Formats: sequence, structure tokens, C-alpha cells
Amino acid sequence: MLTTTIIILAVFVAAFAAFVVWDLVKAKKHRERFRVKSTATAYLMLLPAIVLAFLFILLPILYSLGYAFTDYYSLTPDDINFIGFDNFADAFKEIGNKGMLYHAIINTLIFVVGVVPLQIGLALGLALFVNRKKRGVKIFKVCFFAPVVISLSVTAFLWLEILSPAETGLLNSLLGIFGIKSHDWLRDPSTAMLCIIILSAWQGCGYQMLIFLSGLTNIRSELYEAASLDGAGVWSKFIHVTLPGLRSTLVFVIITVFIGACRVMIQPMIMVGYQEHVVTLSYYMYQQGYSFRWVGYSSSIALLMTIVIGTITLLQRRLLRGK
Amino acid sequence: MNKLVKALAAVTLGSIVVCGAAACSKDKGNVDKEGNTIVKILVHVDENTPEGQAYKKRVDAFNTSYRDKKIKASISFKARSSGAGGYEDTITQKFKKGTLDDIIAFDSPNCAAYANSKILYDSTDLVDAATKADFYESSLNVYENKLYGLPIQESSAGFYYNKRIFNEVGIDVSGYTVENPWTFEQFNSVCQQLKDAGKKPLSMQLDNIKDETATYLLYPFVYASGGSFNDSTGYTAKGYFDSEASKKGYEFLYNLVQKGYTDSTVKDSDFFAGNAGMLLSSGWTIPDIEIKYQANLGNDWGILPYPKGVTVASAMGSWSFGITNNGVKDKSAAKELLLWMTSPESSKIITDATGMIPARKSVTTNYEAGSPRDVLMKQLASSGKARPATPAYPTFTASFCNVAYAIADKNTKLADLNSKIATAADSVQAEMDRIKNRH
Repeated sequence: MLTTTIIILAVFVAAFAAFVVWDLVKAKKHRERFRVKSTATAYLMLLPAIVLAFLFILLPILYSLGYAFTDYYSLTPDDINFIGFDNFADAFKEIGNKGMLYHAIINTLIFVVGVVPLQIGLALGLALFVNRKKRGVKIFKVCFFAPVVISLSVTAFLWLEILSPAETGLLNSLLGIFGIKSHDWLRDPSTAMLCIIILSAWQGCGYQMLIFLSGLTNIRSELYEAASLDGAGVWSKFIHVTLPGLRSTLVFVIITVFIGACRVMIQPMIMVGYQEHVVTLSYYMYQQGYSFRWVGYSSSIALLMTIVIGTITLLQRRLLRGK
Repeated sequence: MNKLVKALAAVTLGSIVVCGAAACSKDKGNVDKEGNTIVKILVHVDENTPEGQAYKKRVDAFNTSYRDKKIKASISFKARSSGAGGYEDTITQKFKKGTLDDIIAFDSPNCAAYANSKILYDSTDLVDAATKADFYESSLNVYENKLYGLPIQESSAGFYYNKRIFNEVGIDVSGYTVENPWTFEQFNSVCQQLKDAGKKPLSMQLDNIKDETATYLLYPFVYASGGSFNDSTGYTAKGYFDSEASKKGYEFLYNLVQKGYTDSTVKDSDFFAGNAGMLLSSGWTIPDIEIKYQANLGNDWGILPYPKGVTVASAMGSWSFGITNNGVKDKSAAKELLLWMTSPESSKIITDATGMIPARKSVTTNYEAGSPRDVLMKQLASSGKARPATPAYPTFTASFCNVAYAIADKNTKLADLNSKIATAADSVQAEMDRIKNRH
């Protein structure tokens, strides 16, 4: 693996250096002294980011792409064989047999469909709330953002206490006041994913709130004044001024929340475990690759997931792009 | 401009040269400048923990004792994280590069997979019969009749019980000993009496079926019912995992939940707070009770063995040391270190640090007769039954947890449980086939 990494790195460095030299020579030919200097400076400044992106993004993707077509089993790392599309065939067979992968896909879809609108809606609502110029709003801003800085694992443990199936669990005690019987929220397939969706939206919306907030400050106040003069109400101003003004922010937020939602793993892992009713694609991949040691198979799932997420993201961009 | 181009070219060349040099570097071998044969050992804990210190102490003592024989041990610590298998990653990557330590610590359920992948060396001929006989038989890391490792320490689990609650309800368990274990019926009867008295009878930690703990605590019930999980090759689960006898074991646990003796709402904390009559847990809970929960439980607690079905079986298993297939042909130095690190003296020092049970029979312990530690040690000797030896162990434990999860749910119907058992058996079998075909 080290040798392969070094070869890939050498090829990458050589290709990058060749490109830079070619660009500089081209600039020199045109006798553009300023362009030569600025191009070189730009490349040098880009270098750290390029190296990091190569090591932590491009390289793992390349490896994953390669392993997806092998029978790589982590306990026999020196015995990796090319097996063509067998891993993909196994994956489709597992889906056909309604195995764990089938449940992982369904649960991930449920999570994405639930969390994306909920988290974005909450974030936008909170952003509109804290965007008002009123006393004490800053405290709310800090409160709403606080869950973002708490680690997801800690959040999951906190919610485990809230959702404890015992009568003394926080939520069950609260509902008990109104005579509602205790419920095992995370064991019941009809409520488990819902709980995970709510927890995730609660935990993540503070970050998107900040992004929306910066988008809101970019909407010129004259537009609201003009709308008021035209007799527009609060709702009308939101639909015709705020939302169009937030269009590019909204596209960014939808795409990032969607990608994040597709990768959900920590919450079901900590709160429930590897069970049919909460397993997600990332969790399935983790389990196959790390616990069961099938790195090749896990990589093939990762590749399929990357293709699907990439395609949907591109479609989203196309559909949501402004005219 | 020229300078910049030259600088970039130099950086590129430099990177290639450095990378190339790194790729070409090789291990210098296992003999140092003074002519000592170096034996490397890798352990799974942090150096600064009591367990890490105990290993270090024993390695230092080894180096002193073997100075004249020109053997020198070198210890590395790679703390096992709860996350993505960092310790195992270290082992596999070192194995691939040919730099794996001569001896590694490994969790006993991994023995079959490591042996099957040729990470562990067949040490059958390195350990004499007398030494083997000094270990509890089930503790030895045997796979396909070959010895791959020796246990560092052992563990056992049992039913912690609150004497105050038992006295209050009028339950006498003094006759239920390791030599004369209680039966499944007697166990049910005790639970029923506790329930009738308005107490929470039992926590089996069913609120936390996410990791190995659930498998570790519950698998003996299947063996006690006359069932098993796979054949001796480790490659057949169908007909074992889901046999009628095995199903009786799952059903026994299922009925405990259905009768209201336990479920996922009864936690270990209920026992620690003095609210539950019993707690199924391993020996590692003893220090917790003695130190953290002294105020709640005082000395009014004890440990009862696993109940008997058609036979009796109890949980066991811990970490072991094994010699690796790391390319070093002469294993004599590694053998010396393996025997040293698992010797009675090492066993005593290490278990004193960890609070676990010595895996060697000859280690003298001063446990008071009938004390919790004494019960666990005797139980280990008489009924300890190892978890299944199969290269597909990770899938086995995940599938077993799926069954346990269904058992813990009060709403699970018996037919649904049987369906879960069948699905779990299919999953384990599929994984076994996959590994068999892969190799």
C-alpha cells in the first residue's frame, strides 16, 4: 500500500509540477512579467491545500475505486485479487434478498427525506428569528448554535437519556404527567428513525442558521421597504423578497445538508446498534469494512453511494440553479 | 521566474527522492549491535494504564533474566480504541509490511480469524503438555486442533444479587453454589418471588445490546440448553445456531422478558442503586461495586453462578498472547517471551493490576471461600465455555446481538423470534461460506 501511495503521489506531484511549469513557460512566452509572478505565487499558495486535498480526499477515493473491484479482506492485505463486478453483484443480491443493505438504503432514504426539510426549515426559522434587531437576540443565537459545537457522540448519549424506555426516562416522565404510557422510542421501528431525524435536525440546524443569517444580511433593506410600500404583508415579503434573496444560500444549504444526511452513522450506531430498523448506508459500510473486514465489498458500496449522491447533487444544482 | 521554476523542479525531485527512499527502507532485522536477539511484543493498552505498566514491568524483568542468553524484548503499546479497529489495523498493516511484532496481544474470539489469515503462528509444538495443562482448557487459543496463543488472563460472569432484597423477600440462595448450581426452574422461581414482592427482579443489561458485552453475557444460555453455534471447523452454523436445542436457550431468555423479570428498561444502575434484585455482569463489576457503590450496597451482595439447563455453561474469555507469522523463522526467542509473559508470575502481576482472573491454575489467589471472586474463579474452572471459534466471529456476534435485541423486546412474538434466529443463522452461514471461498 505504501509503495502504491508513493507511486500515486509521485505521479500526482510530477503531473502537477509539469502543469505549473507549462503554465509558467506559456506565461513567459507572452512576456507577461506580472502574469508569470502572480501565477507562480498562486500555485505556491495553492500547494498546501492541494497536498491536503490529495492526501485526504483524492487518494482515499482512488483507493476506494480500486478496492471496489477486489476481494480485499483486511486480515489478508497481501492477498488482494481483482474480482471484476462481483462485489456489486453481491450488493444487488443483498438488496434483492431484503438483507441489511436493503434496510440501510430504505432507512437512509427515510432519514434524508425527513431531515433535509426539517433541518433547513428549522435553520431558516431560527435565522429569521435571530435576525430581528431586538434586545437579547444574541443570547438565542448562542443557544441555537450551541448543539453544533457539541460532539455528535455526546449529543447521541444525551438523547439516549431523554428517550430512555424506562418510566423514569425524561420524555416518558414528561408524557407520564399527561397519562401517556411509557414507550421504547428507539426500539419501536415506527418511532426510532423519527427520533434520530429530530435529534439530527436539532443538532445540525444551528450551523445552517448561521449561513442563512449571513444570506439574510445580504438582502438589501430597500427591497423590504419597497415591498411594504406596495402593501406586502410579512408572508408576502418572505415569499417574494426573502426567499429569492436567499436562493444561492438555499442551494448551498440544501446540497450540504443532503450530503451530510446521506452519511448519517453515529446516531444509529450509538443510540441503537446494528439493527435493521436503524441501519444506514454509512453504518452498513463501516460494519462491512471494519467489523466484518470486507474492505473490497465496503468500497464497492462506497463507490455506488458516491455515484448516487454525486448524481443527485448535480441534479439538485441544475434544478435549483437560478435563471 | 527561472528561480521559481527551479525551486518547483527541486521540490518535485526532492519529493520523489524522499518518497523513493522511504519505499526502499527495510527492517534491519532482529539482532541489535550487541548481538541480542530482539523480540518485539505488541500490546493493546496504553502504557500508562495499570495493565500497561504490568506488561512493561514483566518485559523489563524478562530483559534482566535473559541478558546472558542475549535475548532482549521490546514492547510497543497501541491502545485499542472503541472505534474503527485501530489496533487491528496496526496488526494487519504491520503484517502486510512484514514488520509485525513477534508476539501480539489479541482478543480470544479473534483467534480463528487470525489463525485462518496466517497472522498467528501454529505454536502447538512450542508449548509443552505440562504448561498447557496448567491453563484452563477452554482458555487455550485452539483452532482446528492447533494452539495459536496462550491467555494473559481470564474472565467470568455471574449473577450479582442484593442480599438485603433477598432477605427481605425471604429468598434463600445459600444452596446454589458452583458445585451445585441452581437450575433454570429455580432461577425462574427466584425471579418470580422478587417480582411478586414488587421488586425489579433482574438486569441482564438488555438496554445495551450494541457490542460484545451482550454476546459475552448471554451466549452461555444456549450452551446450557444443550445448543451450540457452529461445528468444530468453524464453517457451519446452519443446524447449530438455529438447532432445536439452541432455540431452547434463546427461548429461556425470551421467557424471562415475557414473564416480566427483565427487559431493556432495567439497567445495571438499578442494581447499583439497590432497586433490582440481580444483575448479570462480568467480574469487572466487582471493583465498581466495592468502590463506587459501597454506600448503596455495602457488603450485602454476592455472586451466584449461571443456572443449569441440561448442562451448565458460563461466560469466559479475555486477551491472549500469540506468536506471529512475521517472517522470522526461528521462533525460539519468541517462545521464551511468550512463556514468560504468560507464566504464573506474570499472570499474578497482570491480574493483580487488572482485577481479572488468572488463566493459570497454579497461580495462588487468596480469595475467601464463597466470596464473589472465589465464585467466579471456581465457575471458570468448572463450567467456563469459550465463545464460538470461527473466522466469521464478527458476523456471529452481530447476528447474535440481533437475536438478543428481539428477545429484549416485550412485543416480540415467539414466531418472530424464530424467524430472527433463522435469519441470523443464514447470515452467519453466508459469512462463513464467503470466508471459506475467499481462502
